[in-house]
Amino acid sequence: MREKLEQLRDGALQAIAASSGVEQLQEIRVRLLGRKGELTALMKGLGSLAAEERPVVGQLVNTVRDDIEAALTAAIMAAEERVIVDRLSSERVDISLPGRHPLKGTKHPVSLVIEEICSIFAGLGFAVAEGPEIEHDWYNFEALNFPPEHPARDMQDTFFVENNLLLRTHTSPVQIRTMLKQKPPVRIIAPGTVYRCDSDATHSPMFHQIEGLMVDKCVTFGDLKGILTVFTNQLFGQKTGVRLRPSYFPFTEPSAEVDIACVICGGKGCRVCKNSGWLEILGAGMVDPEVYRHVQYDAENISGFAFGMGIERIAMLKYGISDMRLLFENDVRFLRQF
Amino acid sequence: MNVTYNWLKEFVDFEASPEELADLLTMLGLEVESMEKLGAGLDDVVVALVEEKRQHPNADKLSLCRVNNGIELLDVVCGAQNFVQGDTVVLAQIGALLPGDFKIKRSKIRGEESCGMLCSEKELCLAEESAGIIVLPSGIAPLGTPIFTALGLKDTLLEIGLTPNRSDCLSVIGIARDIAAKLGLKLNRHSTAVVEGPESVDSFIGVTVHSPEICPRYAARYISGCTIAPSPEWLVKRLNAIGIRSINNVVDVTNLIMMEYGQPLHAFDCDRLAGRQIVVRTAHDGEQFTTLDNQQRVLTSSDLVICDAERPVALAGVMGGLNSEIENTTTSILLESAFFKPAAVRKTAKRLGLHTESSHRFERGTDIDGVLRALDRAASLIVELAGGVMARGAVDVYPGKSDRSAIPFRPEKANELIGINLEHDVILDILTRLECKVSTAADGTVSVIPPHYRIDIEREIDLIEEVARLNGYDKIPATMPVSRVVSDLPTRHQEIEKQVRNLLVNNGMTEVINFSFTAPDAAGKLLLAADDPRHCAIKLANPLVDEQSVMRTTLLPGLLETVAKNMNFRSLDLKLFEMRRVYLPGAGEDMPHEPLCIVGAITGSRDGDGWSRPNEPVDFFDAKGIIESVLELLDIGWISWSTEIPESYFHPGKSCRVLAGREQIGSVGELHPSVQKNFAIEKPVYCFELDFEKLVKLSKTKKTITAPSRFPDSTRDIAMLLPEELPAARVVECIKSEKSKEIENVQIFDVYRGKGVADGFKSIAVRIRYRSFERTLTEEEISVLHQRIISSLVNKLQVTLR
Repeated sequence: MREKLEQLRDGALQAIAASSGVEQLQEIRVRLLGRKGELTALMKGLGSLAAEERPVVGQLVNTVRDDIEAALTAAIMAAEERVIVDRLSSERVDISLPGRHPLKGTKHPVSLVIEEICSIFAGLGFAVAEGPEIEHDWYNFEALNFPPEHPARDMQDTFFVENNLLLRTHTSPVQIRTMLKQKPPVRIIAPGTVYRCDSDATHSPMFHQIEGLMVDKCVTFGDLKGILTVFTNQLFGQKTGVRLRPSYFPFTEPSAEVDIACVICGGKGCRVCKNSGWLEILGAGMVDPEVYRHVQYDAENISGFAFGMGIERIAMLKYGISDMRLLFENDVRFLRQF
Repeated sequence: MNVTYNWLKEFVDFEASPEELADLLTMLGLEVESMEKLGAGLDDVVVALVEEKRQHPNADKLSLCRVNNGIELLDVVCGAQNFVQGDTVVLAQIGALLPGDFKIKRSKIRGEESCGMLCSEKELCLAEESAGIIVLPSGIAPLGTPIFTALGLKDTLLEIGLTPNRSDCLSVIGIARDIAAKLGLKLNRHSTAVVEGPESVDSFIGVTVHSPEICPRYAARYISGCTIAPSPEWLVKRLNAIGIRSINNVVDVTNLIMMEYGQPLHAFDCDRLAGRQIVVRTAHDGEQFTTLDNQQRVLTSSDLVICDAERPVALAGVMGGLNSEIENTTTSILLESAFFKPAAVRKTAKRLGLHTESSHRFERGTDIDGVLRALDRAASLIVELAGGVMARGAVDVYPGKSDRSAIPFRPEKANELIGINLEHDVILDILTRLECKVSTAADGTVSVIPPHYRIDIEREIDLIEEVARLNGYDKIPATMPVSRVVSDLPTRHQEIEKQVRNLLVNNGMTEVINFSFTAPDAAGKLLLAADDPRHCAIKLANPLVDEQSVMRTTLLPGLLETVAKNMNFRSLDLKLFEMRRVYLPGAGEDMPHEPLCIVGAITGSRDGDGWSRPNEPVDFFDAKGIIESVLELLDIGWISWSTEIPESYFHPGKSCRVLAGREQIGSVGELHPSVQKNFAIEKPVYCFELDFEKLVKLSKTKKTITAPSRFPDSTRDIAMLLPEELPAARVVECIKSEKSKEIENVQIFDVYRGKGVADGFKSIAVRIRYRSFERTLTEEEISVLHQRIISSLVNKLQVTLR
């Protein structure tokens, strides 16, 4: 019995030493130590031994098993280590090949600019409002203090549709629709598509605007200047110079054109700013009392400002696009750059 | 409005340089759009003396000159004949750049060297035609003086973009007035004293106004015995500088005074006026009249005409008539200065497409109280330049004369609205500088009468604007509003729009934006049935071009055109979407509907090409998958995919409509080959459409989330043969209809046709994952359940197990 055990151990240790693969070693474990293995078979002989011998041989069985187990474990670890070392030394990828990534989609630059501007104003507490593009003359012109036959209507070449309807020439009718629906305080921003019958390198018959309106108690022209300064600094950079100069819109008074220091030349003067150092980016002003009259607000107790800007103009300045038509040609070689 | 620096300086004695003046005007709201230095670049064109002139040895018509430019003697070859030795001439020196980008270079002409060119007026753009070179009065300026300096032409032209409210600045004086007010300077005015003859105007002419509602004031003067002649040089140059062509002394005066005063004037040849009468009336419908530009005009009863005793002689405020214009033989003149209602002039000018300096001013509103001043100044100047005698007095038909009413004004309101804190005196001083009459009552209330020429000032807010403007927008501090908090979340519509756009972009799709208007036949290209509502598009009354003449009812044509355009540029792998409104007519008087729609088109390779890409083409299931991810994002269930009645523009075997319940919310499919051809697209395109408004309605506001089971799963596969016409989805439906809580997931993992599968059949393999929320399922339980499912498939769908 003892001899058989020792033979088994010696044989096992030799076999372990001779084998190389993990699988082979696992087989040895099953063959020797498994439920139907050789050691188990030997142990069945324990019963036939004398009572005093049994603990001694039993002890030996345990030692043999432990020895084999230890040798196996060590050999398996070594074999596994070898496998890893082999893998590491043999496997190589050409890391210079381009990576694999899902195809990139892009938003249209007009959408991008609208999203950016809306989120700046969301931070200032302005909600987004919308309105129809096919609009009544009353909302687009009359309520905004453009009486019929007024020369100011010439500023906006209009596409007409039957039934006294037209394609809105600006997003300003959303001001009217909003004020008719709610009482002050009002703080909205209204992005949207607008139309004018005009088409060349700087004019598109369809383009986009964002309108802003704030009406509350004691809103001042200085506040308009403050809000627009914060806005332009967030959109074009913290140190962008802002200039307001007098202008005219029928629905605001006082009215202003808002210029920013030229983002191309920094104000020194270049072709884009026609050597003035300034770029006109939006129109603004205090809401005209005549507009309040049309929406039944009491001009004596509230005040407010409105502003509007062209999205394409801002997109062109932000991305250095020189021809507005590029924005609507939808060439993916252009669009995929955004 | 064009004006020159020197002209303005005649009226206000400011010190600003042209650049500073431009900035000052812009900050006053009179935006200087461009500045042109007259004679800029012509500094090398100088006064010179012809010291010697002899015949060119090799050319009969050329002469050789030695010319003194004050520094040196230069040889110049000249072809003109109108000068002699000792004349003072104009020399363009080497390096000078003449108008028309003509650069003067050293050259040899017929073998003789020429170091410059002697110039004519035409070559310097000082005249339209010239017979020879310029010969200057001797001693006009030291030799070498730039010619524009020598002639006193050095000036700066300012082009001012005026807003429609500032009609008072359609005049040199108007602009000068604003400068004077801003700088606190005095405005120099011309004297309007007139020298009149003894006989009263009434004995020469008569004026009758039948339409005082359109012509509230009509004034005229009569001058006899004058001589029509070319204008003196100063007048020609002044008009040329601002781009007006000189005609003759009388017409030039009317133009000059219009530019100076903003009051359009018209001079009639009085001898050609029947009865020496002026009758102001509306035209008869269909009345014909030939305007100065020799165009026959057909008039309507809304046009105002100036007539003599028999016929129209001018289109009021717009243009004079050929039948009464000033000619070289004219000796007596009726000079008109009137006020016509803006809307009427605008209507006539617009209808006839006749936009003139005169109509431009009347449309924007002229100064009714400045009518006589301009008339007197012009009449005096005509007598000065053309001679003759002015009759005593002016005809002045002005029945409704009324004074301007005072506007109550609160200086504190101005401070409050602008956000400044000026002393009341300072505010009132600003208004006084603007020539307003300011009076303060005993109780402190202020009332203001604006000057007659500022027709735009009618209300307190107009005065407040003037205070802000003149004080300077740059002096207003930028503040942040103190306001009540408003809490407005984005609407559900806005939120979902953003989410869907993000999802599509994250799925590799590129957003396009097409024009909202299309060609009238755009929907026709989709092979839509005759009664399809998408044929009913809203038409534009005044489209720019036919291809943009109706509002689109579907986004698909625009997107398909975009696909074709990109393919032409060899961009063949496209994943495009557009998420914009379509425009559907409203019923009866209702407003049109403008629902937001989504449309997508994919074509070419699925993943783009590259070393690691399988380079497989996209197919129906890529398009369907995009719809599925949108529906999943919005948690929209109960969707069915219907192949009954396919859309006309899709391949009937590779398309379907997407239904939520019974309502169609979209469609998806391969573009019909004929439609593909209609849009000149070379490769198959897969498209999808979704009705965004319906998606918003169907989307769930609340997502319910369940905790995952903690017990192990077990999967079983079933492979089966089914007839081609049986949709694979029926297999999944059938399994799910068992409604067993233990079925966690059912997935089709293989579809196979070909070897081993009979024609007309397909092999489908389904994997079912079983799992319980309560315990570990035993093999037996799963087997029983799985067997039940198999029997159900076999019995209900007659599939054959493989």
